[in-house]
Amino acid sequence: MLEIKVEDEGRVTLKGRLDAASASKAREALRPLKGPMALDMGGLEYISSAGIGVVVETYKRLHGEGAGLRVLNLSPGVRAVFRFAGLEQMLAIE
Amino acid sequence: MERRFQRDLSSLPELSRFVADFLTHHGLSPSNAYDLDLILEELFTNVLKYGSGKDEVLVGLTRDDSLITIAVREFDAAKAYDITRAPEPDLTRPIAERKVGGLGIHMVRQLAETIRYEYKDRVSTTTITKKVSANA
Repeated sequence: MLEIKVEDEGRVTLKGRLDAASASKAREALRPLKGPMALDMGGLEYISSAGIGVVVETYKRLHGEGAGLRVLNLSPGVRAVFRFAGLEQMLAIE
Repeated sequence: MERRFQRDLSSLPELSRFVADFLTHHGLSPSNAYDLDLILEELFTNVLKYGSGKDEVLVGLTRDDSLITIAVREFDAAKAYDITRAPEPDLTRPIAERKVGGLGIHMVRQLAETIRYEYKDRVSTTTITKKVSANA
């Protein structure tokens, strides 16, 4: 189960599981949003390659529009998946 | 333990519960769930994307001390789909230039001790071994 909340000033909080079953929900929620964006993943328990795909798509779209994407508050498990995906050094992770 | 799952993304929560049940049954730490969930999700969604079998997908989890064996099997498969032959994604490219795909198998490779594939009598089986941490 994934919960997405769009806060003020481009901050989006994600809670729960961002997997292949919930990736389309995340994609639909993020697609209309303009950058710069901060994805707060403090409440995210789990992410898979499908979830990473949503982050990469969002990064590419915002990058094309000249805006940035920051990723905040990763748990150790979620951070490990970013590392496996080769994103740990390329994304602005705080 | 073995369980059959519908060939649909809606099976993912059941797969996760299956992993949790397995860990509880063997007295293993719940901290092992993330890696096992990730391996199973990536294997299962690969079957949904590229598999050619029919009916449900059989998932097996067995334990030999600290080594877990994960087997994902589909039946009446028209052709083989061998993940060990899948190309590695180029993770050195800037994100803006990255292509989609291949990441799930790459993650499985990162986590697994061994990966084996067999296609025989129209049965397609991917078998992974993964070390887990001590008992709960």
